[in-house]
Amino acid sequence: MPARGGRDNATMNKIKLLFLFVAMALSAPTFAAIDTIAVDVGISVFQTMPIGIVPFEEETAIKWSSEAPHKILARDANLSGRFEAVPSDHFDLVLFSKKRARQYVTGNATKLSNGKIKLDCFLYAAETKDLLLGESYTVKPQDVRQAVHSFFDKVVYRLFGERGIATTKLAYVSKINGLKQVMVADYDGFSRRQITRDSSINIMPVWQKNNNGLVYVNFRRNRPNLYAITFGGKETPLFTQFAQTFSPAVNPKTGELLFSVTENGKTEIYRGDMKNGSAQKFLHLKSNQVSPSWSPFASEVLFTSDRGGSPQVYAVGKDGTDVRRITFMGHYNERASWSPEGDRIVYTSMDDGKMNIYTCALDGTDIIQLTSNAGNNEHPSWSPDGKLIAFSSDRGGSYQIYIMRKDGSSVTRITNGNENTSPTWSWFFDEKKVK
Amino acid sequence: MDRIFKLALMGTAIVFLVWGCSKEKPETDPVPKTAPEAPVDSTLNLDALIADTLSADSLARLEAERLEADRARLEELINRIMMEDVYFDYDRSDLTENAKRLLAQVAEILVNENRFTVIVEGHTDARGTEDYNISLGARRSTIVRDFLIAYGVDGRRLVPVSYGKERPKVQGNDESAYSKNRRAHFRVTIE
Repeated sequence: MPARGGRDNATMNKIKLLFLFVAMALSAPTFAAIDTIAVDVGISVFQTMPIGIVPFEEETAIKWSSEAPHKILARDANLSGRFEAVPSDHFDLVLFSKKRARQYVTGNATKLSNGKIKLDCFLYAAETKDLLLGESYTVKPQDVRQAVHSFFDKVVYRLFGERGIATTKLAYVSKINGLKQVMVADYDGFSRRQITRDSSINIMPVWQKNNNGLVYVNFRRNRPNLYAITFGGKETPLFTQFAQTFSPAVNPKTGELLFSVTENGKTEIYRGDMKNGSAQKFLHLKSNQVSPSWSPFASEVLFTSDRGGSPQVYAVGKDGTDVRRITFMGHYNERASWSPEGDRIVYTSMDDGKMNIYTCALDGTDIIQLTSNAGNNEHPSWSPDGKLIAFSSDRGGSYQIYIMRKDGSSVTRITNGNENTSPTWSWFFDEKKVK
Repeated sequence: MDRIFKLALMGTAIVFLVWGCSKEKPETDPVPKTAPEAPVDSTLNLDALIADTLSADSLARLEAERLEADRARLEELINRIMMEDVYFDYDRSDLTENAKRLLAQVAEILVNENRFTVIVEGHTDARGTEDYNISLGARRSTIVRDFLIAYGVDGRRLVPVSYGKERPKVQGNDESAYSKNRRAHFRVTIE
């Protein structure tokens, strides 16, 4: 590249400048081509923003109940799909400049006499040390993670103008003493809580509208039946007019439920109102239908049907008309779900008895395989910002839950022990409800 | 009137005696239900016979034996039904020849024993999604139920349920485990 030598004379500089202009004009298409190549060879399509992470100052040393705040922030940054954490044990402008971290986060932590912890959290511009965002939280020691997640989402909003997912949660299924139970945890796998506690099978948890509770399938009557549960509240059987119900999907706008009903050996999708228990047939097809999924604005629905002889993904209008087939490759494509950004579909495909996760465009083209050569990979669920996908995999020997970016990169395991499957991401939490 | 009553009693008693003798193979003996009409024959001198052979004691004993035999017979039938599973090919819900042979035997039992209510469970192997496997299990339980109904079993006594892949019979991730888990299983309850 030109324009380096400091001792060149003026004429040389002019020639070089001219050369540079010409080169730039000529090379514009080349840059675009390089971009395309970068995508093709599988380098992450994510443009991540480096962000400096500096430990909080502690007046007196605090014994953190899980992790120190800066560790939580670093994890949030790296999981988010937006940032790349640049950790440093002190403010280090040279390091931040070298790593192109133009902002950094840090704070102060004080243990109060009543046992609570006061967290002052800051986002600074690295070069100028301008304060871009400051938040203060006074919380019990066990609520520190929640407070730090909340601050991190504010950082995302400040820098991107979008809602972050650090305060979201996952519902999933954990095998406890040989019984499948529904659990809820923070999106990063911390703060796990058991929701169901009976001696039957509990599967397929999904979040009710506004994260008020879950809908799931329970086998206590020796058959699959839908139940609703509110957090800390009671459990209600749903749509008891049907003998067998499963595959719930909550309408993000109205809270209405789509679900599968099995009657006389045929499985069909119904649309029901959880409050009054009424339900009508949603699709009038000869084939079996399972795994409904609403589009982000509830204008269309994805589902799986065996009408072509093998399970394949189809799309249909919200009124149940205009069915079109999405997947054509392979003999087993199931559990499709619509990206919150609306532009892509994630689904599971079985090949040689192994399950793997793929995405494709809305018309079924542009198929990208996200997982391969790592056991079974199943049950993909989008983060509400559409940047990440949670899924379960037995790649490490037992089934555990993982998070990856929507391009399949940065796979991170977030559970351990037992056997953990079927993650379903919550909706965004209302800011007011987050401490 | 008295005579008719004694006749009937006599007839029943004989049936019990005959049945008691053939206890070694009770499942093949359909006599109890159709027999009582046969011995009604007014030319026999029954009074003497009854006086000789049937005291109240022996009647009670016979009754107890009959109940015991009946219970044992039902237990054996239930065990036979519940022990045998109907197996399916991968991702299929149609009945194999083996499955049909087995189901014919089960149907035979159910047609002759109308006190049984049978829960027909459909199961799948571990491959594939929970959702699709529940629908596949449902198809399996229903095709088994339909076969039994076609054989003459009352459909109201056959309750189909699907467990999908949630209740494997054998743990494992190979074909030998898969093939045992792709099944329809019966659970019997007595009214």
